[in-house]
Amino acid sequence: MAGYIGNLTLFLSLIFNGFLIFSLIKGIKNNNFKELKTISFFNDSIFFLLLISFLILIYCFIVSDFSNVAVYQNSHTAKPLIYKISGAWGNHEGSMVLFILILSLFSFVFFRTKVIEKLKFYTVFFQAILILIFLIFLILTSNPFDQIVPKPLQGLGLNPILQDPLLAIHPPFLYFGYVGFSLVFSFALAGLVTNNFDKLWSKVANFWIILPWSLLTIGIGLGSFWAYYELGWGGYWFWDPVENASLMPWLAATALVHSNIVTFKKDKLHSWTALLSIFTFIMSLLGTFLVRSGVLNSVHAFANDPYRGVYILSSILLITFFSLAIFIVKSPKKFLYEKYYFFQRDNFILINNCFLIFFLSVVLVGTVYPIILDAISGKSISVGPIYYHTILAPFLFIFLFFMSHGPLLSWNKEDKFLQIKNFKIFFPISIVISSVIIFWFFNYKDIILILGLFFSVYLIISVLFDWFLQKKLTIHFGRLISHLGFGVLIFAIFVNAYLSKEINAAMKVGDEVKIQEFIIKFKSINKIKKENYEEVFGNFLVINKEKQIELTPSIRRYDQPIQFTSETSIKTNFIVDYYFAINLSEFEKEKIMVRFYYKPLMFWIWFSILLIAIGGIYQTFRLKNEQ
Amino acid sequence: MIFSKSAKNRLKIFSLLLVVASIIFFFIYNNLQKNVVYFYAPQEIKNLKNTPTNKIRLGGLVKENSLKKNNNTYVFIITDLKSEIFVEYNGLLPNLFVEGKSAVVEGVLKDKRYFIASTILAKHDENYMPPEVANSLKKNKSNK
Repeated sequence: MAGYIGNLTLFLSLIFNGFLIFSLIKGIKNNNFKELKTISFFNDSIFFLLLISFLILIYCFIVSDFSNVAVYQNSHTAKPLIYKISGAWGNHEGSMVLFILILSLFSFVFFRTKVIEKLKFYTVFFQAILILIFLIFLILTSNPFDQIVPKPLQGLGLNPILQDPLLAIHPPFLYFGYVGFSLVFSFALAGLVTNNFDKLWSKVANFWIILPWSLLTIGIGLGSFWAYYELGWGGYWFWDPVENASLMPWLAATALVHSNIVTFKKDKLHSWTALLSIFTFIMSLLGTFLVRSGVLNSVHAFANDPYRGVYILSSILLITFFSLAIFIVKSPKKFLYEKYYFFQRDNFILINNCFLIFFLSVVLVGTVYPIILDAISGKSISVGPIYYHTILAPFLFIFLFFMSHGPLLSWNKEDKFLQIKNFKIFFPISIVISSVIIFWFFNYKDIILILGLFFSVYLIISVLFDWFLQKKLTIHFGRLISHLGFGVLIFAIFVNAYLSKEINAAMKVGDEVKIQEFIIKFKSINKIKKENYEEVFGNFLVINKEKQIELTPSIRRYDQPIQFTSETSIKTNFIVDYYFAINLSEFEKEKIMVRFYYKPLMFWIWFSILLIAIGGIYQTFRLKNEQ
Repeated sequence: MIFSKSAKNRLKIFSLLLVVASIIFFFIYNNLQKNVVYFYAPQEIKNLKNTPTNKIRLGGLVKENSLKKNNNTYVFIITDLKSEIFVEYNGLLPNLFVEGKSAVVEGVLKDKRYFIASTILAKHDENYMPPEVANSLKKNKSNK
C-alpha cells in the first residue's frame, strides 16, 4: 500500500516538474514572471512530493515491507532499526531518490534567497531540467517502489560491512556535497545566459560553493575513516576508483572556491570561475556514474545494471555538451589589459588553481584509463598507488609553497620584498623544525619525506605567522583554520606513511611473539551472540617498551546473508594508533591470523580534515556580510 | 598581415597552452605506463611470446587440493580450467582464500609455469568473483 503512495508521489513530482519547466519557459519567453506564485507553488510541491516518497521509502524499510524489491534485496527483519533506516539510502534505488531530493531541496532553498529575479528563474529552470533527467532515470531504470508478487517472507539482508553507524551518515554527507554543486552549476548557467556573471554573482555563489564543499570534505573524511577501521587493512586511502570519484569533485571545487574569491574581490577570472562551476558538477556526475553503473572492479560496486550505466553516461554527455555550448556562446567577454604582477594574491591563487587542475587530471586519468582500455582492448589493468604518489608528490611541494605565501600577498599591489622578508623568517624555522623531527624519529632519510615534512611545516608556520599578525581575526578565521588543517593533514600523511609498521603472524591462545620492538601476547578468546551476528573476540596484549596496550579485535559471523567480517580494535593516545585485526584461515584451523599495525598521527589526519571543513562552514556565513 | 594583433596574441597563448598541455599529458601517460599492473589469466600467459618481467596480476580458481605448506611458504595452483600455474607465496593467507574459489595474486613470473606472489588480493566477500576472473572462466567454459 505504502509503495503505491510512494509511486504516486514520484509520478506526481515528475508531472509537476513538467509544469514547472513549462511555466518557466513561458515566463522566460515573454520575459515576465507574473505567475510567480504558480512557479513557486510547483517548485515547492516537487520538493514536498519527493520528500514524501523518500519518507515512505524509509517507512517501507522500517516496517520491512518485503513486497518492495528494494527492501527485499537490502533489508532483513533481524537488523537493528538504525540500519533499517540507513538501508533506505544504502542501496542504489534509495540513494537515487536521495540524490533527486537534494537537487530539489537546493532549488527549494535557493528560491527563498534574495537574488535578481531573472537569475533566480533561470537557475530554477536549469535545476528543474536536472531533476527531470534524474527523475526519468529513477522511474525507468531503478524505481524504488517496484513490487514483487508474491510477497517474500524474509529479505536478503544488507551487506554486513555496510552495517556501521558511520556508513549510515556517510552517503548523505557525500550526496549533499556532490549534488550540492548542482546549484552553483545551474546558477553559473543562469549567470551566463542572462549576462549577469559578475561580482554580485560570485557573492551569492560563494555560499552555494563553500557549503557543499565543506559537506563533501566531511563526507570524504567519513568514508576514509570507515575504510580505516572497517576494512581492517590498516590503510585509510587506497586510490580505489570510488575514493577517487569523490576526490575529483573536491579538487575541482577547491579550485572553484578560490577562483570565485578572485572574481568577487577583483572582478576577474569570470570565464574561469564559470568553467569551474560547470566542471565541478560534471565531476560529481562522473563520480555518480562510476559508483552507480557498476563499471568498477571495486569493493564498492554493488549495482550492476548496464542500462543504468548507459543512461547516466549519456545524460552526462548531454549535460556536458549543452553546458559547455552555453559557456562557449555566452562566456563573459571582459578584457582586462592591466599590467601583470607576479607577486599578487590573485596570481598565486591562479597558479595553485592550475596545480589543482593538474592533480585532478592525474586522478582522472588514473581512474578512467583502466576502464577505457578495458572497453577498447579488453585488457584488464590496475593503476597502483605508486602512480599517484610519484606523480603528485613533487608538485604538491610547490603547491604548498605557493599556498604558504599566497595569503600573505596583497590583492592590489605588488610587494615582493615583504615576501622575501617572510621567506627569511619561515625558511630557517621550518628547516630547524623539520630536521629535528627527521633526526629524532626517522632511521632512514628519503628525499620525498624530507621535502614533505619541510613544506608542510613551512605552511603551518606561515599560517600561524599570518594568524598572529591579523588585526581582524573574524574575517580570515575560516581561511586560516582550513589552511592550517591542510598543512597538518599533509604533515600527518607523510609521517604516517613513513613511520607505520605492520606485523603479521599466525597465533593460538597462549602464544607470544616478539617482532621488531613489539611483544604480542594472545591471552584468551570469548564469544558473544548478538541480534544479527555471532562475534568471537580475541584478547591480545601488545607491549611496546614500557607501554602495555590491551586490544580485543573480533570476527563476526553474520546470519543474513552469511558472511564473515573482521572487526578491528584500535586504541589511540592521539599520537599513535595501535590497530589490531584478526581473521580465520581455512588451512590452519587451530590458529588465528593476526595483523597488527602501528599507525602514527592517525588522529591528526581525521582532526585536520575536520578543521578544513570547519573553516569552510565558518566562511559560508562570512562573505555575505562583506561588501 | 594576415592576422590582427589580438589574434596573434591569442595564437601565441593558445600554442603555449598546447605545448604545456602536451608535456603534462606525456608526463602523466609515461608515469602511468610505468605503474600499471596488467591482469592475466593462466591461458593468456601460456599464449604470450615473451615472459613479462614486471609486476603482474594473475587470477583464476585455486585448484582443489593443490595447496601445500612448506615452512612459511605456500604453494598452490591457479587455474582457468585450461592452463595451470604454480604459485609460491610467502606470508599469511587471507580469510577468503579458499580452495575451489577465485583468487587474484600479485607478483612476478619466474617462468611461464611458475609465479612468485607478493600479495594475495582478497578484499571482497566470498561469493564475489573479480570480473576479470569471471570473464576468463566464462570464455573457457564456452570453448570446451
